[in-house]
Amino acid sequence: MTETWRLIDMRIEDAPTQMSIDEAIALARPKGETPNTVRLYRWNPSAVSIGYFQSVEKEVNLEACEEKGVDVIRRITGGGAVYHDYNGEITYSLVAPEKDPRIPRDILASYELICGAIIRGLEELGVDCEFKPVNDIVAGDKKISGNAQTRRHGVVLQHGTVLVDSDIKTMFQVLRVSDAKISDKLIQAVEERVTNIRRYLGREVPFKEARDALVKGFEETFDVVLEPGELTEREEGLVRELHEKYSSKEWVFQR
Amino acid sequence: MKRAEYKIPGGKLLVAETEVKDGVLITVKVTGDFFMHPEEAINDLEEALRGIQVSKIDETVEAFFGEKEITLFGISEKDFAHVLKLTLES
Repeated sequence: MTETWRLIDMRIEDAPTQMSIDEAIALARPKGETPNTVRLYRWNPSAVSIGYFQSVEKEVNLEACEEKGVDVIRRITGGGAVYHDYNGEITYSLVAPEKDPRIPRDILASYELICGAIIRGLEELGVDCEFKPVNDIVAGDKKISGNAQTRRHGVVLQHGTVLVDSDIKTMFQVLRVSDAKISDKLIQAVEERVTNIRRYLGREVPFKEARDALVKGFEETFDVVLEPGELTEREEGLVRELHEKYSSKEWVFQR
Repeated sequence: MKRAEYKIPGGKLLVAETEVKDGVLITVKVTGDFFMHPEEAINDLEEALRGIQVSKIDETVEAFFGEKEITLFGISEKDFAHVLKLTLES
């Protein structure tokens, strides 16, 4: 019989809540209270998330974020800075025990497998793309998804971004790409290294269509059925506790 | 405060900031888009490096990773020592 995993389906929340939910699910999972879980979600307001080890001042144009009403948050996972555009981006997360026979122990292999679910989803939409080690997905050499994983308490948490119709110009206004002053020419070059589903296909792709394709990608890759569900009471309690951490200046500005 | 960047070929960026007084590391901060589990270990690494002679960077980094169960992804422990030593040249 095909196994069922929980799907927390397209919740729209602010940045501290989204990061709290991912961590809460990872904290609750080892106790066996919850099944493996896939989330698809959007950030409202739009937000920049930076990797655990990144310097907020170096990676984020805080003035531009303030001006545009874009939140800034530090993730629990390493990796790079991401612009989560409310109008053009879907984030996914997956939580499963490290011991799950489907999850390779080797970290690179596990990235490749989990990214494979996103790639299948994108291919379903007509986007020809591939895994680019160590943690990206590219379509025609342009980045369309970035991914980050952590492992703790015997659990794998991987989350990542899927660019549906992200405003790439705003992306590079809120993210600092390299040291200080960049010429227009260079900004153009950077913008050309990123794409999104709409740009690639040359047509609008509604969130519902992208969501359906990603669900299918996970189901086929892991040979499971994703069944929409809710967070448990314990997880909701953890979310409330963690929210304080994620929204604190101490957390966001620690590096 | 001295700063150095090291981009691993085809991979991650490591940035180190150090302050040295009389040959001793006073301040150490390492940032970048790499992966390390558990993540909080970065604070322990910086703590282990504070107060050591700059000549002991390699052995301190090696001993730190030798003692603890830390997983690095996208970088190696040698990259930490390398970027820290780069700050000394800047």
